[in-house]
Amino acid sequence: MILQVHHLTKRYGDLVAVDDLSFEVEPGEVFGLLGPNGAGKTTTIRMILDIIPPDSGHITVLGNSPAAAQPRIGYLPEERGLYRNVQVLDMLVYLAELKGADRVRARQRALEWLARMGLEDRAHSKVKDLSRGMQQRIQIVAAIVHDPDLVFLDEPFQGLDPVNVERVKGVIADLRREGKTVVLSTHQMNLVEVLCDRILLINRGRSVLYGPLAEIKRQFAPHAVRVRAPEIPPGLPGVVAVEIKDGAFHLSLAEGTAPRDVLRALVDRGVDVQAFEVAPVPLEEIFIQVVTVAQDESCATDQEE
Amino acid sequence: MNWRKVWTIARHEYLTNIRRTGFIVMTAIVPALGIIGLILTVLLLPRGEDVAAWLERQFDIGRKPIGVVDRSGYFTPILPEHQGTFVLYESPEAAEAALRADELQAVLVIGEDYLQSGEITALTRESFGEAAIADSERVRTFLIAHLLAGQVDPAISHRVADPLENLQARILSETGQERGGGMVFTFLIPYFLAIFLIMTIFSSSGYLLQSVAEEKENRIVEIIISSVRPTELMAGKVLGLGALGLTQVLVWLGSVWGFTGGMASLLALVGNVGIPARVFILGVVYYLLGYLLYAVLMAGVGALGTTMRESQQLAGIFSFIAVIPYMLASFVMINPNAPVARVFSFFPLTAPTMMMLRIPMGEVPWVDIVGSIGALLLSLPVALWFGAKLFRVGLLIYGKRPTMREIWRILRS
Repeated sequence: MILQVHHLTKRYGDLVAVDDLSFEVEPGEVFGLLGPNGAGKTTTIRMILDIIPPDSGHITVLGNSPAAAQPRIGYLPEERGLYRNVQVLDMLVYLAELKGADRVRARQRALEWLARMGLEDRAHSKVKDLSRGMQQRIQIVAAIVHDPDLVFLDEPFQGLDPVNVERVKGVIADLRREGKTVVLSTHQMNLVEVLCDRILLINRGRSVLYGPLAEIKRQFAPHAVRVRAPEIPPGLPGVVAVEIKDGAFHLSLAEGTAPRDVLRALVDRGVDVQAFEVAPVPLEEIFIQVVTVAQDESCATDQEE
Repeated sequence: MNWRKVWTIARHEYLTNIRRTGFIVMTAIVPALGIIGLILTVLLLPRGEDVAAWLERQFDIGRKPIGVVDRSGYFTPILPEHQGTFVLYESPEAAEAALRADELQAVLVIGEDYLQSGEITALTRESFGEAAIADSERVRTFLIAHLLAGQVDPAISHRVADPLENLQARILSETGQERGGGMVFTFLIPYFLAIFLIMTIFSSSGYLLQSVAEEKENRIVEIIISSVRPTELMAGKVLGLGALGLTQVLVWLGSVWGFTGGMASLLALVGNVGIPARVFILGVVYYLLGYLLYAVLMAGVGALGTTMRESQQLAGIFSFIAVIPYMLASFVMINPNAPVARVFSFFPLTAPTMMMLRIPMGEVPWVDIVGSIGALLLSLPVALWFGAKLFRVGLLIYGKRPTMREIWRILRS
């Protein structure tokens, strides 16, 4: 395991920011750390990076304590910032040196990554003269310039245009190809679906969903199929309801009805089926559903108390 | 403590800040003044004139003559040696008109029965002038000379009027050597030097405050403390900016030494002119201790604010304490060993500045030097603890400035 978190708890006064949280990150994967604002994601990351100490619980990163692992971890914080009056390359080398990297090697890597980000001609510009999108990309370079084995990217797509979103997706793919592990925190669920192998969804400091993304999606999939066809004849066996969603028919199925039975019935009745699939559930819906349910429950308990 | 990282941070802070325009201008100002001084001395000095006296005259505020309306008759006519500096007027109105026209420094109206009553009315344009006239050596000499004229031997009259006319002030230093060379070399240059050193303490601890507040304001601190311990960050900043301040101090000291020495040899000044080594060495010692103390406090306080401006406001309390010796500077100049000066020399936050002001002014008791250095050395660990704690916790407080109660809780935890 690259990262093991056991029963981690952090309190700020009366507020429990992280509440008995446990999870693991496997080597070489892209792990999604998700949750609504204020769920405790940043606090969790800060404890793993040894920026703040946990109240209780145990963390093992790269086989070490967080303090000892620091040089091999990269971090793109959600709260962005760079030195405004320093040259891009000097700053990147300085930040890499703080991680213990060799200056000459750091310089070389910084130039490589700037080129990969399309910023090679900006190495000697001052940060304050760059656009926000450029600053954002430089910040991502700052997180990986010292060649870390584990990278935390907190909202790396925030404020990027589609071209740069693709670029950053490419960087994450590159990191994975190099065998690095990435922990990605973002609110853009469509990107999580594309990028992440496994996810942890936390709400109010607690784990509410944890596991491989594909499995979670399967678990939450409604018993339904999506059909694109001119019409759906009434009275199909095993179909409980028919709705139109996003320009296609959404057929809810009775328990015990398999999708292939429905397809056969449609073909038998001569329906001109253009597309047929098991109805997918967007991660976004799962997110909203889980978080809302959790909030309703906690409201209920609050009232009982 | 990972000293390699401390060194990296110190190097970064030094190299970043040494390029600041403000720093370059401040550092260049002393050598520039020295060069200007040398050029002016060479160009303007009349050959063979007493250099010290000439230099002193350059610091003298120009004086206009004093108008006299004499109703007593003792001061008419004005004695030859006072003509020019004192001018007789027939009526108060005429004298007043001249005063209004800015031709006179002041007007003295001497009463009819001056000998019995001593009544003199003085008229000046500024309120300060009244006090200046009351104890003005010039007016006293003028009055005595005229009252005694014709009554006693002119030599006695002259001596009574100015018994201290040819006072030779010499200062015995601890090595037994005497110093001469006049006010400028003995007092003013070391005094200005002390002021400059004090300014360096505050400019470099100010840079420190700025660099901490800047990193916090632009959030880069979050990346930095995911790489180094807060104590390493603080140590690196304190050392790097301390080295920066020391660079400035050494440039200044070197140029002052060079130029006063240069001026002295150029003008063939006699005597052991210039600044004693003691002032230089103690200057550097107090600079280092003073800087260290203020730097760690500034680092802690700087980390508490959420913006540069807020941090500077919070640091205001220390700036206020630091200014106290300045406010007392005029007393210190008259008597560097005044009780009030000695008291502030033993209080750590004012000790470095107060001692820097006192030492160029004359002999300071050894107990004060040892005591002030001791007070600084004892308070440094406390400041270090206090500063490091505030720094560590303050760095991650965004958005909202902590209240006094929260700061108290941080310090106790």
